[in-house]
Amino acid sequence: MAETVNILGPARNRVDGRLKVTGAAKYSVEFQVPNCAYGWTVESNVAKGKILSIDTKSAQAAPGVLAIVTHLNAPKPKEPAAKKHRGQTDGIRNEERVPFSDDEIHYAGQYVALVVAKTIEQARYAASLVKVSYAPEEPLLTMNAAKSSATKPKGSFGPVQIKKGDVDLPLKGTSLTKIEQIYTTPTETHNPIEMSGTIAAWDRDDKLTLYDATQFVKGVQSVIARAWNLPIENVRVICPFVGGAFGCKGAVWPHVFAAAMGAKAAGVPVKMHVTRRNMFVGTGHRTPTTQTIALAATRDGKLRAMRHVSHIATSPVGDHVESCGARSTGMMYESPAIQVEETLHKINVASTTFMRAPGECPGTYALECAMDELAYALKMDPVQLRLTNYADNHPVKNVPFSAKHLKECYQVGAEKFGWAKRNPQPRSMRDGDLLGGWGMATKTYPAHKMEAAAKVMLRADGSATVQCAAHDLGTGAYTALTQIASEQLGVPFEKVKFELGDTDFPFGPVAGGSNTTGTVGTAIHEVAQLLHKALADLAVKDSESPLYNLSSNDIAMIAPGHIGSKIDNKKSDAYIDILRRAGRGSIEVQSELKEPEENKKMAFQSFGADFVEVKIDPLLPRVQVTRVVSVINCGRVVTFKPARNQIIGGINMGIGMALMEATEYDPQTGLPATRNLADYHVVTNADAPVIDVTFVGEPDFAFNPIGCRGIGEIGITGAAAAVASAIYHATGKRVRDLPITPDKLMDIA
Amino acid sequence: MNPFSYTRATDPQQATQATATNASAKFLAGGTNLIDLMKMGVERPTQLVDVNRLSLAQIEELPNGCGVRIGALARNSDVAQHPLIVQRYPVLSQALLAGASPQLRNLATTGGNLLQRTRCYYFYDPAFPQCNKRNPGSGCGALNGFNRIHAILGQSEQCIATNPSDMNVALAALDAVVQVQSAKGTRSIPIADFHRLPGDTPNVDTNLQADELITAVDLPAIPFATRSHYLKVRDRASYAFALVSVAVALDVQNGRINAARVALGGVAHKAWRAQKAEAALVGKTAGEKAFRAAAETELAAAKGYKHNSFKIELAKRAMVRALSTVAQMT
Repeated sequence: MAETVNILGPARNRVDGRLKVTGAAKYSVEFQVPNCAYGWTVESNVAKGKILSIDTKSAQAAPGVLAIVTHLNAPKPKEPAAKKHRGQTDGIRNEERVPFSDDEIHYAGQYVALVVAKTIEQARYAASLVKVSYAPEEPLLTMNAAKSSATKPKGSFGPVQIKKGDVDLPLKGTSLTKIEQIYTTPTETHNPIEMSGTIAAWDRDDKLTLYDATQFVKGVQSVIARAWNLPIENVRVICPFVGGAFGCKGAVWPHVFAAAMGAKAAGVPVKMHVTRRNMFVGTGHRTPTTQTIALAATRDGKLRAMRHVSHIATSPVGDHVESCGARSTGMMYESPAIQVEETLHKINVASTTFMRAPGECPGTYALECAMDELAYALKMDPVQLRLTNYADNHPVKNVPFSAKHLKECYQVGAEKFGWAKRNPQPRSMRDGDLLGGWGMATKTYPAHKMEAAAKVMLRADGSATVQCAAHDLGTGAYTALTQIASEQLGVPFEKVKFELGDTDFPFGPVAGGSNTTGTVGTAIHEVAQLLHKALADLAVKDSESPLYNLSSNDIAMIAPGHIGSKIDNKKSDAYIDILRRAGRGSIEVQSELKEPEENKKMAFQSFGADFVEVKIDPLLPRVQVTRVVSVINCGRVVTFKPARNQIIGGINMGIGMALMEATEYDPQTGLPATRNLADYHVVTNADAPVIDVTFVGEPDFAFNPIGCRGIGEIGITGAAAAVASAIYHATGKRVRDLPITPDKLMDIA
Repeated sequence: MNPFSYTRATDPQQATQATATNASAKFLAGGTNLIDLMKMGVERPTQLVDVNRLSLAQIEELPNGCGVRIGALARNSDVAQHPLIVQRYPVLSQALLAGASPQLRNLATTGGNLLQRTRCYYFYDPAFPQCNKRNPGSGCGALNGFNRIHAILGQSEQCIATNPSDMNVALAALDAVVQVQSAKGTRSIPIADFHRLPGDTPNVDTNLQADELITAVDLPAIPFATRSHYLKVRDRASYAFALVSVAVALDVQNGRINAARVALGGVAHKAWRAQKAEAALVGKTAGEKAFRAAAETELAAAKGYKHNSFKIELAKRAMVRALSTVAQMT
C-alpha cells in the first residue's frame, strides 16, 4: 500500500477571513444601487389548480407601491429559448416554468404576484392586500399518490438506470445470505445562512446587471440573456461572496426572473431577498426518497447480487433527478450482479434540486445501512465486510479507480477510533445508564471536471492578480485558488490577489459537484504556462537577459519568481527583472476555454470512512453523537484548514440528516409546515461532536495537474448511515426512516 | 407588515392610558415574538406602546419573607442568573436557560414570555386557511394536519395548540402571581388563572385584558423549592421547543413526600399543573413506583393524535425522571 505522501497543502488562514469577520465582505443583496425598490412575493396557498382572478386594487393604492406583476401583465421573457442548450456553460434550471407565465398552479408556495414598492415594509404590506382566488384541483402530494404517472428518468450526469449481470437468481436462491429493506428519507432543505437574493438593475431596455447570490454567475448570465434575447455581454452578474449554498444557488430560480421583471415593470432597480420561509419553496430542496436495497452474499461475505430501487420526486415543472442508486450501489463494491432502478414522481410540491452530494448522500445512507445489516446477518465485522468486497476497479465501468486508498481509510479510521474494542452485540456497550453504540460507513463522491479559463496580470513589483468567474460559497475557494495560483505562477502567496464572482472575468464553472478547486486550478495551471511563455518571449529577445537567444520552448519556471533554461540550469531570469528591462509595468495573459479531457481508462472517485459513537438515554431517547473519526482519500488537499472544515461541516450535516432534519408538509394544503430555523432543525453546536479528520492517499495527477479531486460534498456521504448503524448497535433497533427522532426510539427502554 | 404607530411610554400610567383608548394597541417589550408575528401578518396592532423605558426590571425580595418579585421587564437572562432565583427557585433558572438562545434570552422579558404565543404551524403562518386561534371559526388545521408538537391534555376540537414557554412551566409549579395594572387600577392573577384552555375560544390565550399591563411576577416563599428541577425533552440538544418538559419541586422528609409541585410543558394550551399527580404523591414514599403511579394518574385523560401520541408515554417518563432527580437531591 502506498504511503501517505505529500497530500497536505499548507494550513492557510482564509484570505477573506478579515473581510468576513469585520463585515466588509459584501453579499449580493448588500450592494447599494441608487433608486433601488423592493420586491415582495404573493404565494399560492393551493397546491394545484388555476388562478381565477387577482384583485390588486387596494394593493396598488397602498403607499409606496410602484408596480404589481402577475401573469396578466408580466413583462415576459422569451421562455422557450431558455429551455434549450443545457451544456455546462449554459446555466442550470431545475424549474422549467418562468414565474407569472400563466394561470396554472403547480405547487403550494408558487409565486403568483410580485409587489414592487419603495421600501421593503411597504412591499410586504401591499403584498398582504393582494387577493387571489383559485379554482383548486385535487393535488398529488406524495409519491404514492403520483404512482400512476411515474417515469424512469435519465440523468444529466451519467447513467441512472444500471443493469449488470443477473441479480434475480442470487436474490431468489436459498444458498446465500440475503437482506432486503426499505429506507426512507424526508424532504431536506439546504438552509444556508445567507438566503438567496437578487438585485436587478436595467440600463435602458437591453442591459441588465444582476447582483445575485449564486453558485454560477456565468450560468445566470446565460439563462437570463437567452430568456430576454439579449447579447450575452449585455447581462452582467456579480457575486463576490456567498454565505453558504449547498446546491440551492446552483440553478436559476423564479426570484431571479421575478427581480428582472419587477425592475422592468417598475422602471427602477429591484431588490428581492428570498425570505427564510420561501427558501422552503422557491429555491429547491432535496427530494424525499424511498429506497429498497436487496443484497445477497456468500457465507464468507462475498457479494453476489446488489439491487437498489429508488423512488424520487420533483414538481410538475421540475426536472431534477436525484440519482441515488447509480452513485452508491452502482460504483461502491465488487459484485457480479448489480441492478439500479430509479423512478421519478411528479408531485404538487415545490421543485427539487441538488443538495450537497445529490444522489450520493441518500444513496450511501441506504446502501451503507444495508451493508451494516448484512454484516450482522453474516455475523461479520462491518469493516471486514467492506474489505471483502473491496473494488479496485469500478464495478460497472470496469476500469481501475485512480489513486484509490479506501483500505487506508478503513485501517487508519479503525485504529484512531479504537474499533477493535467494539463488541458487536447490540446494547453491549453501556455507559452507566446510557446506551452506547459504534457504527461505521463508507463515504464516496466522484471527481468532476468542468470547463474554466483564467486571466492573470503580473506586475513589475512582483504581484499578480488572477481572475476567473468562479465562486467561493464560504468553502475557502478564495484561499485554495490563491494557494494554487501562488504555486503555479511562482508568486508569493501574499502577493497574489484572486478575484472571482463576476461575469466580466473569464468563464468559471458552477460551484457544484466539488469541482471548483480542480477545474479552476487546472485553468490556473494553463494560464501559468502562458505567463511563463510570455515572459520567456520577452527574455529571449533581451540581450541583457541570461536567457537571450534561447528558444522560449526550452524555458520554464524553475523557481518561484524565476524562469530558466530547461537544458542549462545555470541560466535563469527573474520575472521582475524581465519586466523592468522591457519597460513593462505589467504583463497580462488569458487561457482559453476548452472542453476538459476525459480519461476514460480510469475511474476518478474520492472515498472515505466514518466511525461514529452515539450515546442514548433509553428512557428519554434523544440520540447524542459523541465522537466521530473520519478518514478521507480525495487526492491532494490544497489548503488543509478549509478542507478539514468542509469535512466537519459535511459530517455535521449528515448528523442532522440522521437525527433531525425534515421539511414536513401539511397533508391537506401541501404547504411546508416546518419552514423556519426554529421548526426545521439543523444541528446546533450542542449537537456537534468532536470530529477527528485525517486525509490519506496521494495526489491524483491522472485526474488533473493539481492532483485534487474535490472536497465539498464527500463529507456528508455515509455519515447518516454511520449514525444509524451506531444507533442499532446501541439499541438493537433498526430505524430505517429518517430522521431518527426520539419518538422512533420510545420502545428501546 | 401592517402600518402602525409607535409611542414610547415613560411610566405605567401613560402606557395603560394608550391601551385604554386604543383596543388594538399592544405593548412592546423584548419584541422577540411580537415583531416576528407582525412580520408574518398574524399580529396586526395599529399602535405599539414601547414599555422598555419603564422601571420594571428589578428582581427583589418581597417584604416579610413573602417571596421574590420579578419585574415584568426583567430579561430572561438576568432572571436566570439572579442569585435569589438561582438559590431559592432553581427550577425557574433552569427553565429559562433551557429556552431559546442566549441572544433571545438577552432580549426577552418576563412579562413578554408570559404572553408568548403558540408555535403551532397553522397559527404562525397565515398561508394556512384554518386556525381558530388566528381566525375564529376557520377550523383547526392541526387536528388532521401535521400535529407532532401538539397538545395531549386539555385541548378541544377547536384547538390543539400548546403553550411554548419554558418559564411558564416553572411559574406554574411555583404558584406564581401575576401583577397587572390598567387605567382602572391594579389586580393580581394567580398563574393558574392567567392562561386559559382553548375550549371554544382558542383565540383568547389569557385572562389578561387588552388594556392591562403586566408589571411583575411574584414568587411566593416555598422553602422546599430549593429542591427543584426543570427537565426538557426536545429533538435536539439546544434551541428547540419542548416535546415535553417537567418542572418539579419536592418536600421529602425521611423518604416520605410531604408536598409536591409538578407542572408539565409542551402538552397543553397552558403550562399544565399536574394536580392529580401531586395529590397522588403526597404521603407516599419517594421512589420510582410512586412517581410512575402519579404520572399514570395525571396522563390518564391524555389524548394523542396522528403524530404526537408518543408524547403521552414520554411525558410520564419525563415526570418520573424529574421527580427522581429531585428526590435524590440532598
